[in-house]
Amino acid sequence: MTAAPLVRVENLSRTFDVSKPWLNRMTEGLPRRLLVAAENVTFSIDRRETFALVGESGSGKSTVARMTVGLIAPTGGDVVIDGVSMTDRRQAAEQRRLRRRIQMVFQDPYASLNPRWRALDIVAEPIRAFHLADTRAETAAKVGEALTLVGLDPADGGKYPHEFSGGQRQRIAIARALASRPEFIVCDEPTSALDVSVQAQTLNLMRDLQDQFGLAYLFISHNLAVVRHMASRIGVMYLGRLVEIAAAKALFYAPQHPYTRMLLDAVPDLTPSGRQRRPVEGEVPNPVDPPPGCAFHPRCRYATARCRAELPQLIHTPAGAVACHAVAEGRI
Amino acid sequence: MNAPVLSVRDLKVEFPTRRGTLTAVDGVSFDIMPGEVLGVVGESGAGKSLTGTAIIGLIEPPGRIAGGELRLAGARIDHLSHQAMRRIRGKRIGMVFQDPLTSLNPLYRIGDQLIETITAHVSLSGAAARRRALALLSEVGIPAPETRIHNYPYQFSGGMRQRVVLALALAAEPELIIADEPTTALDVSVQAQIIALLRKLCRQRGAAVMLITHDMGVIAETADRVAVMYAGRIVEIGPLHDVIKSPLHPYTKGLVGSIPTLDFDNDRLVQIPGAMPRLTAIPGGCPFHPRCAAVFARCVVERPELKPEGRSRVACWLYHDAPAEAVQ
Repeated sequence: MTAAPLVRVENLSRTFDVSKPWLNRMTEGLPRRLLVAAENVTFSIDRRETFALVGESGSGKSTVARMTVGLIAPTGGDVVIDGVSMTDRRQAAEQRRLRRRIQMVFQDPYASLNPRWRALDIVAEPIRAFHLADTRAETAAKVGEALTLVGLDPADGGKYPHEFSGGQRQRIAIARALASRPEFIVCDEPTSALDVSVQAQTLNLMRDLQDQFGLAYLFISHNLAVVRHMASRIGVMYLGRLVEIAAAKALFYAPQHPYTRMLLDAVPDLTPSGRQRRPVEGEVPNPVDPPPGCAFHPRCRYATARCRAELPQLIHTPAGAVACHAVAEGRI
Repeated sequence: MNAPVLSVRDLKVEFPTRRGTLTAVDGVSFDIMPGEVLGVVGESGAGKSLTGTAIIGLIEPPGRIAGGELRLAGARIDHLSHQAMRRIRGKRIGMVFQDPLTSLNPLYRIGDQLIETITAHVSLSGAAARRRALALLSEVGIPAPETRIHNYPYQFSGGMRQRVVLALALAAEPELIIADEPTTALDVSVQAQIIALLRKLCRQRGAAVMLITHDMGVIAETADRVAVMYAGRIVEIGPLHDVIKSPLHPYTKGLVGSIPTLDFDNDRLVQIPGAMPRLTAIPGGCPFHPRCAAVFARCVVERPELKPEGRSRVACWLYHDAPAEAVQ
């Protein structure tokens, strides 16, 4: 095992142009409008590790996930996987070889499986695409193996996706991801479309597979309790920026950033102890027009003039890193 | 005080299909008292939303109420005509659905939608209805209602839209509010706001609430009593604390255990094997028996009824007339 992390995401940024068409801009005198979905996101993931990104809708966590696997191109920054830059054109050959080792599991198992393909064709797709089997029999054997791994009967491979339940479909999606023997799987809200009991089955399965194959996960979720169960390190995103990175334990026991504290306060608690969730004031601002300075300042109890004017940078703390003036100044 | 606002007795909802009749809700009974929040939990396909839909009389044909009684403040409402039901819906029963964007008309200003709802149920002049709409908007926490009343739904964020829907549901001062997954489409921080608001408004007005959700966390924060549904039946119903802290039915136990929590025990989650049965293949006996770890011979052949156990009622052979050795 090498000391270098498997995945390094460096200053990853993505801007979407949400301007009106050119003619409207000219006739109505409108400026260009840019949506900054992710800005200067930096983290690394070790082998066999689960790194989680949490945040509310619009925080840019899915954009980062998609850039990490190469589904959308970053407008700035780089993703380096096992020493190979995924954006450097000169390393195209290495990138192609690397693709087999990266896979993704999507949120909605109803949308991510082709309804006209049988389960075994869905799982066989990566095997065929990467030429991992020489004969049909070998492909079939590998598909059967992948289906067995996720707890499905290989005999069900001839069925179409609509014949499976939501949880079984997500198992097929996981089997497809496993079929190319990846080392790194990006999971974008893999259980948020599932019922709790099925979610528990899926999360347990993902952890077993991680132990068995030494997988690294980038785990995207809005559900802090799920993240708590899966991740060893967690990054919290707010309006396209990482506001805090910490080891899972540290993040839950001693959250630093006011936003992280707020998120933890807002999680419903199963113990009817009378503990009231402290409802948070306000909502996530429009990312097209983010507040100046620290984007969280309109909702923050600790905001000062500096927070309203100056963007806080990630500073290192004993437990990780946090981007907050109040923490840096020792005010909280 | 002691008369229930809503009383459901042995409700049965059926869907006739070419391959036979499917029973989606099978013998559901419960009461909701004034000012009480009854949480109804269960996974997809448990029949919880359909129970709510049956109460407001909006079951899509060919589905139909095949049996049982629904009483609102003592009067039967399951045999009412469409006309009569329309007068009750919105006026005496308010509704909040999951996706606020689909429950608001995107082409009308929210003020017009509110005023329409108010004037449809309460005889008020236009100006008085407008004042009422403004009061409702500020009550549900929408800042600057005088300007927001002119906005269209798309100009509101998800949380604000759900507040508008809540204002619509409360417009005619209903006795009963049926909230079907009201916070599922919202972010956690906004979810907390909406739940606090729902509780506050119902306490103030003494309205009874039937809160349908799959999220035990939401139930734990909002409900007074909980009904757990499985395969169209209530398997356990009781006070919130009892059901969550010391669940009786093996399904409730599994359901509570399978929820990841913030407490640090990073171990495996409790796992219920298998999945909710399809309506076409509900097992005989206790419908949960194929997934149950404590199953014994009687479960396979005979269906357990809801019977009192402690302060709750539970439908499980482990608790009534069970042979002593099987209870272990």
